[in-house]
Amino acid sequence: MTTLALTINGRAYGPTEVRDELSMNDFLREYLGLTGTKFGCGAAQCLSCAIIVDNPDGTSTTSPTCVVAAANFNGKAIRTVEGHARGNELSALQKAFIEHFAFQCGYCTAGFLNEGQVLLERLARKPVARVDLETTIAEALDGHLCRCTGYVKYHEAVRDVILADPKRYLV
Amino acid sequence: MRVKFFVLVAALAASVLAAYAGTVDQTKLVPPESFEGIADAEARSAAIFTELGKVLTHPRCVNCHPAGDRPRQGDEGRLHQPPVARGPDGHGREALRCQTCHQQANFEPGRMPGNSEWHLAPREMAWEGKTLGEICRQIKDPARNGGRKVEELIHHIGTDTLVGWAWKPGFGRTPAPGTQAEAGALVEAWVKTGAACPSK
Repeated sequence: MTTLALTINGRAYGPTEVRDELSMNDFLREYLGLTGTKFGCGAAQCLSCAIIVDNPDGTSTTSPTCVVAAANFNGKAIRTVEGHARGNELSALQKAFIEHFAFQCGYCTAGFLNEGQVLLERLARKPVARVDLETTIAEALDGHLCRCTGYVKYHEAVRDVILADPKRYLV
Repeated sequence: MRVKFFVLVAALAASVLAAYAGTVDQTKLVPPESFEGIADAEARSAAIFTELGKVLTHPRCVNCHPAGDRPRQGDEGRLHQPPVARGPDGHGREALRCQTCHQQANFEPGRMPGNSEWHLAPREMAWEGKTLGEICRQIKDPARNGGRKVEELIHHIGTDTLVGWAWKPGFGRTPAPGTQAEAGALVEAWVKTGAACPSK
């Protein structure tokens, strides 16, 4: 057993005792009822289970939850798909996903949303040239699988958010 | 008389096959002392390296010493999924770092291998698709072995924790042959006998 205390979507959880072999995915879904984080392949190959980790240095990254122990998140701050909207106001990226009808079944959407959000935050810190934007988006979303083949729409949605605020994301 | 002859031939054939099977057991490593019967030092050194080659050419090692920028995985050496890439420092691209999934240790419920130093060997250390002789010459070349003297390879192969993962790879992965200590002993014996390479 390991003691787990972390911050999820700005709210403190724990400390609580968890089994060492408990995955973060099970902790979120079964213990906390945060079912927006999906369980897909169970092998970190589809990344539908990805969440955002807010690092102490101000950067953010995604992490799969299906293959990572919940205990590994002790002391960390994370965001899940439930943490994007502010009240009833969806984030810019969520709106873009809807406008582009980027998802069909929606199973991969939380992972794409978190990855896209991390990309936006990275570009806000380190903008890229317009000529490199398509590659940057493609590389960022590369590990995520969508069985409804929404890749182009997801890509276009992320691109639209970036191009809507070029001073922030582009050099 | 004829029956006795056939029994003798069968017994002889069985013993030869058993001996052959013993020499090609890919799960074990023969200790350095086993090569003392080879009088020629260079031939003995090359033979020791050939034994070590069971480790160096094993999927646990080659998968992260790939010829390209994408690691391989599994005992079959299939291309890594998800489609990760080497990145500028061998630890993955910024959007998908190795450590994102491969954490401090294996996580068996998720079948995920892990080590705190998980990363790809540099391009110049690629072993995939090379013969043992080519790997040997490469591993001796400071320009292609991370600037190491051959003596430093004893520590690298014999005690490095990331290398050591190859013998404790977790569920569904065949461990590298022998033990890490045995592999280290072979490297040491190889170095002490002149670090000769197999011709091919």
